[in-house]
Amino acid sequence: MLFSSIPFLYYFLPLVLILYFISPRKLRNSVLLLSSLVFYAWGEPKYVFLMAISILVGYVLGLLIEKYNQNKKLSRLFLILSIVFSLGSLAYFKYADFFIENFNAATGLAIPLLHVALPIGISFYTFQLLSYTIDVYRGEVKAQKNIINLAAYISMFPQLIAGPIVRYSDVEKSLSTRRESFDMAAEGIRLFILGLGKKILLANQLGELCEIFKASTDKSVAFFWLYAIAFSLHIYFDFSGYSDMARGLGKIFGFDFMENFNYPYISKSVTEFWRRWHISLGTWFRDYVYIPLGGNRVKPLRHILNILIVWMLTGFWHGAEWTFIAWGLFFAVLLALEKFFIGDFLKKSRIISRFYTLIAVLLSFVVFNAANLNEGFSYIGGMFGSGDFPLVSNEFFYYFKSFLPILAIAILGATPLPKKLVLSLEKKPFTKRISDIFEPLVLLILLFIMTAYLVDGSFNPFLYFRF
Amino acid sequence: MKNKITCFLFAFVLLLTSVLCIFFPEDEFSESERRVLASFPEISGETILSGDFSKGFEEYATDRFPFRDFFRSVKTYTSEYVFQKSDNNGLILQNGHLTRLDYPLVTDMQDLAANKFSYLYEKFIKGKTDKIYLSIVPDKNYYMDTLKYDYEKLVGKMREGMPYARYIDLFPTLSLSDYYTTDSHWKQECITDAAQTIASEMNVKIDAKYTVNTYPEPFYGVYSGQSLIKVPPDTIKYLTNDILNGCKVLDYNSGMAKPSFMYHMEKAKGKDMYELFLGGNSPLITIENPAAKEVRELVIFRDSFASSLTPLLVPGYSKITLVDIRYIMSDFVGGFVNFEDADVLFLYSTSLLNASTAFK
Repeated sequence: MLFSSIPFLYYFLPLVLILYFISPRKLRNSVLLLSSLVFYAWGEPKYVFLMAISILVGYVLGLLIEKYNQNKKLSRLFLILSIVFSLGSLAYFKYADFFIENFNAATGLAIPLLHVALPIGISFYTFQLLSYTIDVYRGEVKAQKNIINLAAYISMFPQLIAGPIVRYSDVEKSLSTRRESFDMAAEGIRLFILGLGKKILLANQLGELCEIFKASTDKSVAFFWLYAIAFSLHIYFDFSGYSDMARGLGKIFGFDFMENFNYPYISKSVTEFWRRWHISLGTWFRDYVYIPLGGNRVKPLRHILNILIVWMLTGFWHGAEWTFIAWGLFFAVLLALEKFFIGDFLKKSRIISRFYTLIAVLLSFVVFNAANLNEGFSYIGGMFGSGDFPLVSNEFFYYFKSFLPILAIAILGATPLPKKLVLSLEKKPFTKRISDIFEPLVLLILLFIMTAYLVDGSFNPFLYFRF
Repeated sequence: MKNKITCFLFAFVLLLTSVLCIFFPEDEFSESERRVLASFPEISGETILSGDFSKGFEEYATDRFPFRDFFRSVKTYTSEYVFQKSDNNGLILQNGHLTRLDYPLVTDMQDLAANKFSYLYEKFIKGKTDKIYLSIVPDKNYYMDTLKYDYEKLVGKMREGMPYARYIDLFPTLSLSDYYTTDSHWKQECITDAAQTIASEMNVKIDAKYTVNTYPEPFYGVYSGQSLIKVPPDTIKYLTNDILNGCKVLDYNSGMAKPSFMYHMEKAKGKDMYELFLGGNSPLITIENPAAKEVRELVIFRDSFASSLTPLLVPGYSKITLVDIRYIMSDFVGGFVNFEDADVLFLYSTSLLNASTAFK
């Protein structure tokens, strides 16, 4: 079920909110768990059992790791079992066909593909389970004794299918002792509605432009650039909008999930970009892969290798395609360059550094969204004049004019300027009073308009479902 | 205080809408979209496990959302006036005219159409007559400032695929004002020049005077409902004279010949007022003109544009047969139509020739 859908907004959510808030406090995690299972089963009835088994295995192994924490060998064995189980199920459901295809291509064999459907959100909940058992092993958190609490954490519908990747350590206390409040709920509602707006009013429309470009028979150099810009904005508003909705829903239920995006497109380097983009994934790989490999406290060559490994895995996490691996490795190269050569220069410049980062990110997303590497490179070639495309075309002019206001709003919205404006207004008593009066109304109007878009439209895919 | 208001308002709106959704869903048929909306899906273990129930429910919940047309119009106005989109779901409003974006040119479609027409020619027409004509009705985008494909290429493809047919060019005889503002079709009262052009090329006289009649109800064309932007409705006018009044019209829609009308007032009261002209789509219609000065027959392979044009060709013929191969198998055409020494006109709109998969 998508947050940006009529069944979620006007059937599922009201029912869950009623059940949740009329339930006694000790039953609220059970309500969350049950509703999360229904939410998950709505899209993936079969795979709800896979998730249940994953949770059960994580629960038992977490307890065993803690129980034998004095016996390092045994404790490590249970941790390895947990990692093998989690990564094994991810490998089977997400990567099996990729490995078989490439093995076949390399050896000339014809091993049949498995054609296993990808369970929704498996990459997210697997990483949450992994972080839980690893943290228990490290002694950073205590194993959760109550399986309902652990299951509610892993399956919690606000963040189940698209993150952010919430660490158990971040919600450990909230699972047992949280206090919902009007202040948190109102903040959650604001976040949720603004996130929904990002998704429906901006991301979906920009996605439409990307689809139009892909189907176009009248491509031009300018159209390739328009596509690259549109897709970069689309994926940002799609994903950050979903993360905002997840955080907003979390706050309504009394949880405080980490911020997942922090205006990445204002970054002055790719290094900074990755501190602002999909923060929960970046920090996950940092804490569970990069630092255990030695991080930057090793010799330069090993450091470079660590960067390559982490970013290849980051790319691969996004999907079982060479495009994602190339995308990750592209960032690895740029990050290594920045660490060893151009980092200082980028820190000093204000314009060139931002231009460089934006171009790098734009090009990376063209490969990211390509059906295969050939398409990705041909699109990048098209942006730079290869392929005999004209500079402009009729379709470019038509769609550029048609989408210009949306692009302008999206570009402005990708900067902190609107937020700064609101904050500065709230500093003055008079404008704060006006904002206090009108804010709930503005939120309602936004919800009303977005409902209209949902009722009218069928173009509502969510990109991160496939991850 | 602000936070409490936000929470209560949000909860109230969510609950109220939820109650409306559950207890007051929209009617099953959408007049504006001219389609049946999704029904509540079947609940069973099988449909739930297969995911069919959830898919069906999502369609149902979205389709049957209370005040659907109102919400759709809110979206249309937001798209048009806030985001300044050139089109909304492919619908364009320009200088008071509504139209649908028809882009790009799909050349395979012209090949498909030309092949189908050539099949008809080879099987039924060849050797019986050599008076074969092709005429193409441009959709109104051709006269508008919007994204449009290469119309010359479309015409060229059709002419190339039908070397046995003489082409009659209607493009210069028409202008945007000849089309309804809320519908895709042309206005009968504005296409007498087009009819004259066709008649002269086919070497037939159709000089006749007409009385212009106005249908009393406003005409909200197909785009009006789809777009939901308030555009003043059109007026349907239709031309009559003694010759037309004396014609015998037979409609084979039900498989058997049934008496019908040149201008079908009952059909005009239905979902599509344009069906006033010859009662709308039908696989086969014949018009016999007892006032004809000579025995001369015309067979028109056609789409809906011909419904309003055909009456204007009637004075030149003793019998006109209209064949719509979207509703009759091409192989059956020979059983109903006499091509011997007849004029044969293939009259199709560019819209159909760019999406010609419906031919049977």
